Amino acid sequence: MVSIASSGRGGRSSAVAGIGVDARRRARRRTAVLAPLLVLALAASIVVATTIGSADLAVGDVLRGILSHLGLGANPLDPLRDGIVWGLRVPRVLTAAAVGAGLAIAGAVMQALTRNQLADPYLLGLSSGASLGAVTVILLGVAVALPAAAFGGALLALAATLGLAGALGAITPTRTVLAGVAVSSLAGAATSFAIFWSSEQDSYREILGWLLGSLAGARWSAVGIAGVAVLVIGIPLLLSGRILDAFSFGDTTAASLGIGVQRTRWLLLGATALLTGALVAVSGSIGFVGLVLPHAVRLVVGPGHRTLLPLSALVGATFLIWADTLARSVFAPRELPVGIVTALIGAPVFALLLARRRSEA
Amino acid sequence: MRPRTLISPTSARAPRTPRRRILTAAALAPTAGLAVIALLAGCSASAAPADSASTGASGSTSAKAVTLDNCGFDETIATPPKRVITVKSTSTEMMLALGVGDRIVGTAFQDGAVPSKWKAEAPKRNDVSDQMPSPESVLDLEPDLVYSGWESAFSADAAGTRAELHKLGIASYVQPAACRSQGAPAKLSFDDVFGEIDEAGRIFGVEPTATKLVAAQKKQLAGIHRDDRGLTALWYSSGTDTPYVGAGTGAPEMVLEAAGLTNVAADVKQTWASLGWESIVDADPDVIVLIDADWNTAKSKIAQLEANPATANLAAVKQHRYITLPFAASEAGVRSVEAVDSVATQLAKLKLG
Repeated sequence: MVSIASSGRGGRSSAVAGIGVDARRRARRRTAVLAPLLVLALAASIVVATTIGSADLAVGDVLRGILSHLGLGANPLDPLRDGIVWGLRVPRVLTAAAVGAGLAIAGAVMQALTRNQLADPYLLGLSSGASLGAVTVILLGVAVALPAAAFGGALLALAATLGLAGALGAITPTRTVLAGVAVSSLAGAATSFAIFWSSEQDSYREILGWLLGSLAGARWSAVGIAGVAVLVIGIPLLLSGRILDAFSFGDTTAASLGIGVQRTRWLLLGATALLTGALVAVSGSIGFVGLVLPHAVRLVVGPGHRTLLPLSALVGATFLIWADTLARSVFAPRELPVGIVTALIGAPVFALLLARRRSEA
Repeated sequence: MRPRTLISPTSARAPRTPRRRILTAAALAPTAGLAVIALLAGCSASAAPADSASTGASGSTSAKAVTLDNCGFDETIATPPKRVITVKSTSTEMMLALGVGDRIVGTAFQDGAVPSKWKAEAPKRNDVSDQMPSPESVLDLEPDLVYSGWESAFSADAAGTRAELHKLGIASYVQPAACRSQGAPAKLSFDDVFGEIDEAGRIFGVEPTATKLVAAQKKQLAGIHRDDRGLTALWYSSGTDTPYVGAGTGAPEMVLEAAGLTNVAADVKQTWASLGWESIVDADPDVIVLIDADWNTAKSKIAQLEANPATANLAAVKQHRYITLPFAASEAGVRSVEAVDSVATQLAKLKLG
């Protein structure tokens, strides 16, 4: 266990540095095969997941219903069934795809920037800050839309973390993580206090769903928020692979490769945090996607960020679509918060990864 | 050095690998909120299955001592309690209905104001706590009985465990319909509810009052018109993203059935459950029963139903076929018959089709 965390830097750089020409070629060949397959899998998942749900709707009707909204043909569904497909399922599946892709990108970037294998998108106090914002709205009935409050909370937490890290001197990975811990603890305590003090009757259930991460409230507005965040912030991050590769060798190497280390780190941390904040705002803090999936993808295609980032995004989107489909259909008509499902699947996968790392070390 | 002082609680643990310590703390911080939630969650899941069939008191009417198997806890109540702390409204209301409201020395976790019919008898309200009381606040009032509508009141972080209270000579009693740890019946019935009233009558030494009350309630229940239009209903308790609804085995199902309604969540073998909107939209209930509470009003639920494009098309929403019930009457107890009466009366006024 100890070796896993502390060998993060050395282990990763030697993995990059030690990769042979053959291995690199093999990884590239794998990527060439995998990329189109993953794109197909994502597209197929979006279509198939919309045909699954507790309401017993014919697959053909669902698909024709969706096509009709895209301007093709007549809608065979009555307004209620159409509400199920176009008002509930489709926005939920698309939100899952956007959130899954965004979390995977944010996680991979965060792991590279902090050179920390256990980094996840919520590292800088973001989820605690967002939770505090959300809980404040749910419990105190503050007249602000919940996503706005969560986003605001995440940004405040980020500002506090970066401000604290900056006040300590240059923003190094360790300082950033430490500052994030301080901010997380504080926001976590404030959240717990708010819940403990004012939670009435069954409002805890709503909060619990939010803290565990849930896509049950995903409507078209959520698709908009998560989709825009992924397009505007996630895609530019995808293109930062070369810079992240340099970062994973250490600040000195990155600087010698001509990268303005401080400025770039600020910029990337800020962008990742904005992306995460937007995602948390619509889904709560869904665990494990941003932590585990980049590792899983890295094991298959190697640590180069130019392939790692886009493939992680594809896998993340597909994974979260299916996790959420399970969450809403396995115990239908009852629902689980999707965070439970991602953790149920994610935890064993993560354990396997850890075991594998250990045997390699 | 400087960062270390920032997180003294974690660095106090000191050992070798600083990074790992940091990560542990980072991983733990977000779960703090969950832990609190879990505590609160334990307090709820309210009127869970009853085992009142098995709670029959063995004490006869002549002997004062009442021996009970209450939620699997053996409790002997030697003399009728004179100083009672009630937790949740159902227990307070039971005592008021039995005319022993003057024995209440403190209340906790009440769900709302006492109904006007009991206003006169209601004790000057002495709120021990808005939520679960602490053991110390309970002991401070020197009660001889803590009477709770939720079993979760009897835990170390609430009013105290039943064994602890017992050692101090304080009896504890849970409304049998809210028993969870043991003897949950497959499905709550009005026989269970009447059994509770009889049992409470024995505990407080007012059997004749209880017998009269049960007879009156049976008569009232028998007189209620059962709707025969074959209508379906959703019992919408709370929740926005995942609605929390009355399911197939608890008080909601019992009340709906008695009013002649078919619960759309009847197949879910729970008292209450979190459902997905999809299954509810798919079921398209004829009427929606809205639970009205100060913290989650019927009005806010109507707004929610109308704002959500998927539920706005439900027949019940489009035609405003709503029935409202106060929260306290939605849990099993002395107001359950009144709840049926209220549902039936409101239902009869609704025009369908």
